[in-house]
Amino acid sequence: MFKIPLVNSLWMASRMSLKLFTPSSCFHATASTQLKEIRTNKVGNTLIIEGINVPSPRENYLIPNDGKSCPLARLNLNVKHTDVLILSQFVRPDGCMLPQRITGLSKIKQKKITKLVSMAHKAGLMCSLAPENSKKDPTRRKHWKKYNTYFDESTIKVFDSRVAQMKTNMLQDYIELKKQEKKLFV
Amino acid sequence: MSELGRVKQWNTFARCWHLFDATWQNPLECAPTIEKYLKGFHKPIYHPFVDCGDHVVVMNSKQIAFPGEEWRRRVYFHHTGYSRGASWTPAWILHDRDPTMIFKKAVYHHMKGNLFRRVVMERLHIFSDSNVPEEIMENITNQIRPLRPRPKPLESYSKKEIEEFPKIIDYPNDYVLSKN
Repeated sequence: MFKIPLVNSLWMASRMSLKLFTPSSCFHATASTQLKEIRTNKVGNTLIIEGINVPSPRENYLIPNDGKSCPLARLNLNVKHTDVLILSQFVRPDGCMLPQRITGLSKIKQKKITKLVSMAHKAGLMCSLAPENSKKDPTRRKHWKKYNTYFDESTIKVFDSRVAQMKTNMLQDYIELKKQEKKLFV
Repeated sequence: MSELGRVKQWNTFARCWHLFDATWQNPLECAPTIEKYLKGFHKPIYHPFVDCGDHVVVMNSKQIAFPGEEWRRRVYFHHTGYSRGASWTPAWILHDRDPTMIFKKAVYHHMKGNLFRRVVMERLHIFSDSNVPEEIMENITNQIRPLRPRPKPLESYSKKEIEEFPKIIDYPNDYVLSKN
């Protein structure tokens, strides 16, 4: 299925060295993003399951990003829970939130987006992104959940960790000190 | 008198009919605007003793919206007058029984309590869905603007619109796409 191209001489190498020779991004001939799709084919009595490289469906519509900073913080967007076209990008086809290592957002933005996604689900705005027989559709819900609800985004309270805040404060102080020193010498 | 001025005068002295669509509207927020039209605050000849209010037709009152946990937390009180006759009904149970009641109570309780209030309330016509009788529909000359925008669900967008919307993130390397 996913064959790792290895030279025969490296088969007996230790685990540490094996990690070094796994396929890295520098060998790509095509675009760097290679998604995989699992397909199943049944030919006679044999079932073939294979992983095929697929070009990303988002490739042409992606907003360019340097890949270092948080892509959402750079855009400076005021995302609301009714902006389903934005929120649906961070969600699996069954409606679950994607983890931080896949979205690549900062910790604060990731927490904020998860809350916004849950709000959109509760308001019944993304009921197409749900597994079968789910109650995301408000018409299939019971009691108070079947009626229209909206949410206030100011109720989302996400704070940075205190250690991280201290670190950034210390860095800023250090930079300012250096600037003042430079001014004194010049 | 100009043509516009003449029509303005007709509008002030006649009883106009206004239509209001209550889908995704908070009835507590709507109450002041509906009171304005019911009592005739928008008319230059307004005076508390002058009966110059208009009719307001509210439709789709079943589709009203409340913020957060208001459907559960909001409670309507009633007392029969006898001992142990008090009862507290959550908003969603009251809405189950009568989908027009919450809107009616919101407007009624927003107005100042005097003998004139019941008369004004007679001019408010609430319907739970969009099936308004024709003899009422033919009177309507104005539509009141909705106060909050109606949110668009993801199903209302076409597949092409969702696909071509600018994307913020892309899937990482070797991510396995899952099918629903």
